[in-house]
Amino acid sequence: MELVRDVLDKQLVDREGTKMGRADGIVLEIRADGPPRVDSLTLGFAVLASRLHPRFGDWFARVRARWSVRKSGRYRIPWSAVEEVHQHHIQLAVRAIETPAFDWERWLRRHVIEHIPGSE
Amino acid sequence: MKKAMTLALGILTSVGGFFDVGNIATTAQAGASFRFQLIWSLLLATLLVIFLVEMSGRFAAVSGKALPDAIREHFGFTFWLVPFAVLTLIHLLTLGAEIGGICFALHLVTGIPVQLWAPVVAVLTWFFLWRSTFSTIENSTSLLGLLTLVFVVAALLHHPPSGEVVAGMLPSLPDHDPEKYWFIAVSILGAVIAPYLFYFYSSGAVEDEWDPSYIGVNRVVALVGMGFGSAISLGAIVVAAMVLAPRGIEVSDYHQAALMLTDAFPFWGFVLFAAAMGIACLGAALEVALSMAYTTAQTFGWNWGEDLSPREDARFCLVYTGAILLSALLIMFGVDPLRLTLLTMAINAAALPFVVIPFLLLMNDGKLLREHRNGWLSNAVILFIVILSFVLAVVSIPLAIRGGS
Repeated sequence: MELVRDVLDKQLVDREGTKMGRADGIVLEIRADGPPRVDSLTLGFAVLASRLHPRFGDWFARVRARWSVRKSGRYRIPWSAVEEVHQHHIQLAVRAIETPAFDWERWLRRHVIEHIPGSE
Repeated sequence: MKKAMTLALGILTSVGGFFDVGNIATTAQAGASFRFQLIWSLLLATLLVIFLVEMSGRFAAVSGKALPDAIREHFGFTFWLVPFAVLTLIHLLTLGAEIGGICFALHLVTGIPVQLWAPVVAVLTWFFLWRSTFSTIENSTSLLGLLTLVFVVAALLHHPPSGEVVAGMLPSLPDHDPEKYWFIAVSILGAVIAPYLFYFYSSGAVEDEWDPSYIGVNRVVALVGMGFGSAISLGAIVVAAMVLAPRGIEVSDYHQAALMLTDAFPFWGFVLFAAAMGIACLGAALEVALSMAYTTAQTFGWNWGEDLSPREDARFCLVYTGAILLSALLIMFGVDPLRLTLLTMAINAAALPFVVIPFLLLMNDGKLLREHRNGWLSNAVILFIVILSFVLAVVSIPLAIRGGS
């Protein structure tokens, strides 16, 4: 498996088949006693912004801290939660609705969508 | 049976996407100013868009992926960002032009100003998307879209000189207003090869759960669907050439285009024109708004699909809601619908290299498409499109400034 080719930017799918974002970033752990190990996947706009330029990432993190409904700009999914890497998606052993990946979705649902008739 | 039903997707895409506000504006201008002389650009554009749509459907059928999804997955976020930004701009401008078209149609039958209609039309369009499923939108707009056949009927009623029509199928140099001639030629290409169209088509195929057994159906849909749309556009050029050109009416406002059907249908002409324009633009507005939501949701990996309830894909719904609102604001603040349309068509043409090149790369990916990847003919055509689109990109904006006014 090649990380950039097979993991980065791939669709993440939760236990119930809900699309819950993409593998926006990969965190590696450098170990003294062995080869580097994949620690976690990260997702969020702040991760994407820092991929364009680290400065964008910092700037985004500041804006986010003030406005976002999300508690953290970079949500980390430990590699241990990855069930399988398929050709077109990564299967995770979590429920999207319980993770920060769905902070925005949950907020919109509760504060906007459910107040409009016909959202069921 | 399900496969027969999928022909509807093609017809929706052709009526909604092919024959829309851009085609009404550019064909009316072409016929009014240059009679049959610009038919070649419509035929060329139709041929190219048939190839693009066929590829887009084949890609979705084989890989199970829509284009924005696959491009981000394969080339990464940084690569996809520029085409994504370009597509977003095109979606917003096109949606504004379509909403403007619906507003103008309503203005024509009611006399109430275009600007006042904009909020009403925005709510109506939004409500359609909010309440219906993909297949409802597909079936209702393709059925109502048949009304645009009035342009074909009117063209036949006028008994156009067939020699001149055939002569117009071959490119020729204009004998007056060369800048305007080339501007309209580019606008027709931009209106027919609308970038959102083939991106939308692949998402639609995923919504309809195509698999590799749909490759044959897809080929027929691309050919017949786009051919159907093109025949309507051809009808509109002929009608404009027979009705507007002899009277020296040049289309600088949609009111002039609205005269097109009054010779063939003296009493009902205006109403028919308004109905055809309103329906075609509504179908297209729904498609463009959906396309914008598909593209954004796939880019960020959100849940998406018109068949889910809004509760299940809140962010997807937020995107089309926001897009409709922003686009309607353009019309509400008094941007002229025709000028917006023509500018958008020029930008469409200029945007082609950005959206076609990633697509071309994907279509040649053997790991993804196996034996269904592009053959030499498709590659030759798409390479031609890329080269043509680079030329269009360079000339379209200056032409828009000089020839469009």
